[in-house]
Amino acid sequence: MNDWIYSDKVKQHFLEPKNWLMGEENQFDFNARGLVGNVVCGDQMLMLLKIEDDVIVDVRWKTYGCASAIASTSVLSEIVKGKTLDEALAVSPEEIAENLGGLPKHKFHCSVLGDQALTKAIEDYRGDQK
Amino acid sequence: MRRIYLDNNATTPLSENARRSMRAIIELFGNASSMHKDGRLARQAIEKARANVAALIGAEPSEIIFNSGGSEANNTVFNILAERDFGNRNEIIVSAIEHPCVLASAQKLEKKGWKVWHAPVDEKGKLRISEFNKVLNEKTALVSVMLANNEIGTVQDIAKITQLAQKAGALMHTDAVQAVSKIAVDVKDLAVDYLTMSAHKIYGPKGAGALFVRTGAPFLPLIVGGHQENGRRAGTDSTLGVVGFGLAAKMAKNMIEKYQKIAKLRDELQRQILKKIPFTTVNGDGSLPNTLNVSFAGAEGESILLALDEVGVEVSTGSACASGDGKPSHVLMAIKADPELAHGSIRFSFGLDNDMKDVNYVMRVLPEIVWKLRAISTVKIGDKNE
Ligand SMILES: Cc1ncc(COP(=O)(O)O)c(C=O)c1O
Repeated sequence: MNDWIYSDKVKQHFLEPKNWLMGEENQFDFNARGLVGNVVCGDQMLMLLKIEDDVIVDVRWKTYGCASAIASTSVLSEIVKGKTLDEALAVSPEEIAENLGGLPKHKFHCSVLGDQALTKAIEDYRGDQK
Repeated sequence: MRRIYLDNNATTPLSENARRSMRAIIELFGNASSMHKDGRLARQAIEKARANVAALIGAEPSEIIFNSGGSEANNTVFNILAERDFGNRNEIIVSAIEHPCVLASAQKLEKKGWKVWHAPVDEKGKLRISEFNKVLNEKTALVSVMLANNEIGTVQDIAKITQLAQKAGALMHTDAVQAVSKIAVDVKDLAVDYLTMSAHKIYGPKGAGALFVRTGAPFLPLIVGGHQENGRRAGTDSTLGVVGFGLAAKMAKNMIEKYQKIAKLRDELQRQILKKIPFTTVNGDGSLPNTLNVSFAGAEGESILLALDEVGVEVSTGSACASGDGKPSHVLMAIKADPELAHGSIRFSFGLDNDMKDVNYVMRVLPEIVWKLRAISTVKIGDKNE
């Protein structure tokens, strides 16, 4: 029985988040960085990607925010690992929410923010390449 | 798993005494307005409860109007203004940290053309009397300031505020939902015209409450179409709720000393949190004996709440992440004006069943939870420029 406030998937990713960055940013060898949101609104997400030959080979993230925000970045880090940049850009907030077993309407902005962090990191990388 | 309930400002469990009183009358189905015996029995039970509720706050029984709770009582007071002619008086003063049901009631009047002042509070949540005096004038019809705040537990000097309000010719209301049973509340000392109470914050049932209306104070019912409560609140009396409320009020008469002991637990939790968890600040002045509101920099309130819940500790957060509008608690913003501290706040509200073991258990689990959320967080604590 699930008597939790959000889905079991959100619970799992909240209680045992995957791929989060322990310590400072210099603890991870990345070449793409996306930071979105702000503390004033209650959610901030940082996505760090290690990209090789247009493929995301590794991911780390940090999130300040509620359980759904933490779970969104955690599940997103699993979704995009191994994807090409174009595949990763095609990931939608809906897909993130789906992978979490759904998010309530008032928490959907968490998956939107996760998506934005990812997009920003990829744009950051592509900008540097040009 | 052991469950530790530290959310008594949200609601309290039904006390054994209240439960027993309700069980005893559950078969008492008569309509208290009926003249026959079943009706009279219900009436008797209700009037006994009214005497207990009145005695709790030093009122006359005739000054107590039973209703569905604090929200209704607060709405009722503001509705009097909407419905009645107050001549040149078309201004209202509320404190900036009132319960949403007061703020929303005031807003309704604002839309009808009333001028509403939100009197500011200081960093501990105390009304700034000098600022209050600036907006209090001969046009003020009503002043509504809560006795004790539900989020941070700050208690206001209502007797003094009433004196100022009444000198200006205004009516005075106080929402005493969180204060009753925890600190001394006497309508003669406070001298207010209206006072709001709720049963489920004093170990009574949910959906029952009362509005005290001083004899002679202007009144108009919010719910019309029945002669109940002397024509002041229509609707067949909720015998069950009222009886439970009455018993809870009777028991609450002797609770102040018990809450003094509870304050020691609260103080100990505060001491340990401040000692063992860096970058934490206490919100409020601690004047309500059971309430501790703490901001943890770099960690978000709902996450702390849910992680605590996983290990059996039930608390609440003032942050409104749950409501999705991204706006932090208006109370914390009024005292701190720092969204990060407001988002990272947790309210521990003790009840009479808590003991030192609960405090020790919280301190076994809380530091690690905050540590982990801070480690995951983008916010670098201690670095305000980030
Ligand atoms: C200060 C205050 N006023 C009013 C209310 C509303 O009371 P009720 O739940 O009985 O409607 C509450 C409880 O949430 C409260 O804490």
